[in-house]
Amino acid sequence: MTQPPLLSVDGLTTTFNTDAGLLTAVDDVSFDIAEGETLCLVGESGSGKTVASESITRLIDSPPGETGGAVRYRGRDLTEMSESELRSLRGDNITHIFQNPQDALNHCYTVGWQIVEAIQMHEDVSDDAARERAVDLLNEVGIANAAARFDDYPHEFSGGQKQRVMIAMALVTNPDLLIADEPTTALDVTVQAQILRLLNRLQDEYGLGILFVTHDLGVVAEIADRVVVMYAGKVMEHGSVYDIFEQPSHPYTRALMECLPGGERASGGIPGTLPDPVDPPDGCRFAPRCDHAVSECHTGEQPAEAEVSDSHCASCVYYQPGYDAGTILGPDTGSGSASEEVTND
Amino acid sequence: MATDDQARFDQTDWEEIDESVDHGLSANTKVVLAGLVPLVLLYAYDYTLVGQYEPTFGFVGWGYSVTQLDWLFALSLLLFGAYGALPLYQAPRMTKYYWGEFKRNRPAVVSLAFLAGIFTMGLLGPLVISPPETDILIPYQPPLGFTIGMESVVECAGPVTEAGGQRVCHGSLAHPFGTTGSGKDIFRSVVYGMQITMKIAFITTLIVVTIGSAVGTVAAYGGGMVDEILMRYVDIQQSFPTFIAYLLILYIFGGGIALFILLFGLFSWEGTARYVRSNALAKVEEEYVKATQLTGASTYHIVRRHLVPNTASSIITDVTLLIPAFILFEAQLAFLGLGDSTIPSWGQVLAGGRDALPYAPWVTLIPGLFIFFTILAFNFLGDALLDALNPQAEAESE
Amino acid sequence: MGLGWYITRRVGWAVIVTFIIVTVTWALITAAPNPAVRQAATQAALDGGNPSAAAERVRELRGLNAPLHQRYIDYMVNVYTLDWGWSTMRSQPVTEAMLSALYYTVQYSVPWTLFTILLAPAVGLYSAANQYSWKDHLATGFAFFGYAIPNFFFGIMLLLLFGVYLEWIPITYNSDVPVFSLENARQLIVPVFVLVTGSIGGTMRVARNESAEFISADFVKTANAKGVSKLRVYARHILRPTMVPLSTTIVGQLLALFIGASLLVEIVFGIPGLGRLTFRAIIAQDTNLVLGSTLFFTFIATIGNLIQDLVYTVLDPRISFEDR
Repeated sequence: MTQPPLLSVDGLTTTFNTDAGLLTAVDDVSFDIAEGETLCLVGESGSGKTVASESITRLIDSPPGETGGAVRYRGRDLTEMSESELRSLRGDNITHIFQNPQDALNHCYTVGWQIVEAIQMHEDVSDDAARERAVDLLNEVGIANAAARFDDYPHEFSGGQKQRVMIAMALVTNPDLLIADEPTTALDVTVQAQILRLLNRLQDEYGLGILFVTHDLGVVAEIADRVVVMYAGKVMEHGSVYDIFEQPSHPYTRALMECLPGGERASGGIPGTLPDPVDPPDGCRFAPRCDHAVSECHTGEQPAEAEVSDSHCASCVYYQPGYDAGTILGPDTGSGSASEEVTND
Repeated sequence: MATDDQARFDQTDWEEIDESVDHGLSANTKVVLAGLVPLVLLYAYDYTLVGQYEPTFGFVGWGYSVTQLDWLFALSLLLFGAYGALPLYQAPRMTKYYWGEFKRNRPAVVSLAFLAGIFTMGLLGPLVISPPETDILIPYQPPLGFTIGMESVVECAGPVTEAGGQRVCHGSLAHPFGTTGSGKDIFRSVVYGMQITMKIAFITTLIVVTIGSAVGTVAAYGGGMVDEILMRYVDIQQSFPTFIAYLLILYIFGGGIALFILLFGLFSWEGTARYVRSNALAKVEEEYVKATQLTGASTYHIVRRHLVPNTASSIITDVTLLIPAFILFEAQLAFLGLGDSTIPSWGQVLAGGRDALPYAPWVTLIPGLFIFFTILAFNFLGDALLDALNPQAEAESE
Repeated sequence: MGLGWYITRRVGWAVIVTFIIVTVTWALITAAPNPAVRQAATQAALDGGNPSAAAERVRELRGLNAPLHQRYIDYMVNVYTLDWGWSTMRSQPVTEAMLSALYYTVQYSVPWTLFTILLAPAVGLYSAANQYSWKDHLATGFAFFGYAIPNFFFGIMLLLLFGVYLEWIPITYNSDVPVFSLENARQLIVPVFVLVTGSIGGTMRVARNESAEFISADFVKTANAKGVSKLRVYARHILRPTMVPLSTTIVGQLLALFIGASLLVEIVFGIPGLGRLTFRAIIAQDTNLVLGSTLFFTFIATIGNLIQDLVYTVLDPRISFEDR
């Protein structure tokens, strides 16, 4: 028997009961994360990537949220677990960092108190020992004078420092999997780079698996091992970071690439808007905005995932039998990088 | 009433500016002037030519002596009409939008209808219904559908029946809400009480909003010492509990409903002043005020056209909480026997029924319920207005 | 400059505020005709004596002939040395009369305050945790009811129901029963209930709206992601920040009710506390006692405002004292 992957997400579906009707934020999403691997979940805002990342440990409030599908951590299904079993996993084996460090820390408690709480929720350690570990880790994530700053309140830290504190809090229990939801989006560009470097270093040090949620392809290129591209709650394409950048295969991924600086859509973005999540279109979710959509794209279900190359899949009709994938890839099939891409219309 | 005030908020600046710049005077100002001229003339006539207790409009056969308070009430109604109701009519699209937001809150809609009913009846009722009069022959008449033993009443205005050897007096349409211990008709008292309640609500609001916004803006724009002194004064005023202050003044100088309204109006504007000041300080920094300043608009113009409309939501919310407090204070004073015994306010009727509580509870119950529902309605209204006018405030919308 | 300096300045300001308010009361009293003088003159006229001579005598007796500034200084000194004069109604010093009344006021104020502090956050949090469910609507309806119903009216109704019709509670207050006895609890339960209903009405709404905001806050998500239990999330991560604005509201609400409604509640239930003392002094034209009660209530208000400010600054670590 092969060892199960660190995290295996299978058919994850998250819906919300809203006044307008049943909103499907995440629709049948599957991916695996191996030990020590960084998987990037990429998509525009509203594509469901944040909800997907929070559905893994069932952080979504229920009601109104409802999570279906299977999520296996080292082979144990999280969706079957009781609330207390899940809690002992959260913050211990699987930890989170969130997008906005400004509000992620409770303004009424000192930073140290909050880190110590994270430790003592899972381990029976004395206050002094917990404090020592917290200070060590604060040092490690680059908080200067950590022992003194332990008793400071969050408002006395800058945004970048708060995110470092959050990272320290997420690592203090020595987890196996870190779920980082756009951890650098709210920060300055220079701070962003520092935080990414820090995460990279800590990943090597601790052998962390990271699920990194972002809309920034630049960040993806920097840290990802593998990439999952999401659009309107569905997976459009997944593959290794090289596959995705060297040979973006789904029209949506290609459109995203063209939005990068120097790309064809660098100033305009992708025309159109995300579909209504309460009443999504038939067929491919991206079809209404797709330049290559044919009539089949507008009927039935989202096209099944088709293998483009080894462990590189795209959910597009052009990869089904009877279609010519070359149509969407353009004359310069496969080899050109995104910025050099020329579309055929 | 207070809903109408939301219009101040929805007076969109561009329309306003068009009008005021082109014609010099806005439609609102014209309405105020048009209403003010006859009001002042009539007041002058009342003040100089008519004796204090003579009917003011005796020449048209209306035997009522208009009091100072009535004049103030008329003035506040005029201002509310011009700056509250008229803008709603002027900006139908915004009105529709706010109404749509407001409508979703059903208790608030019911509250508004209730208050509108109280307002209309309070305003027009006393014109057609004669004031309640003492009639010692018919004390403690029960309301329609209720009964009382004949031993408690002298005569019964309704049908009398025998039940188990006891003669009981039934309520009748002659006195649908029954009568008090001195035989005053409770229904009429309640209608007259509505007018007093509305006077308390409108006049105090007028005073509070006027002084509060004036002090708030002056403090914000004056800055420095002016700001410091005004805000320190607001601190002191807040420390002096109005109810106790009123008791002291009542004790020393005596009082009446007019003094009550003036005093509570004059000593309750600190919340409004604070709101307006902090809002003004924030708004001064905002781009559109800067832009207006750059075009050379006067400070008065900025305050009147931008600041007051934009602070309106806070002011309205504050006022919808103040008004019930005033109504409550009046009832409390009346209950203590320290109120104005010359007026049939709800509190007066309520207090009068206390001794007869075990056998004639309606004397206390009916005005008490009116007070309760009025205060409740103002609260629901305030809650809904907060929601409709201020989308950031995530209060409940049922 | 830290918390200590801020508190010092704030307390200093509170002292100045009382000083100004006491001055205002002096001005009011001085500006008005003294009822004792008038009474003496009327009495003298009725007895066939010389009204103006009698008035003069009383004036001299009460030091009303002294120059204005002298009277002002005397007044201020007396107020601050707690020499508040003689109560004609009670035939004892004003301070003594008030102290004995305070004994009864405290008996219902303490449980009322405690219940409010305990229940308001709990009910608000419960309502927020079950937002928009029938439990929330029930709690909200209760809050609106408590806020809107005039306390004295509610008191009368409950007294009628439980005292007169059901005879569960005594109709008249008995001041002789021991403080910690079943009889005392029985006669105080309804007044305390009425006051708690009133103070919870206003505070529970604030508790609900504030904690509803925090329930969806990012830091609560962080706490959940840390594996903190649900109960602890509510008790530590949501309640604590809610207490910052809520504490000021609670103090303000208790203060407002203490100064207004509790007076009425004492009269309705016949509790011989400060409120009833004040009311009787007004009826009996006992100027010293009226003034004493007024001063007491304004002092309480000033202290309450002070506590309100201090509590807020102490509870919220984000407040910097330099800009205040």
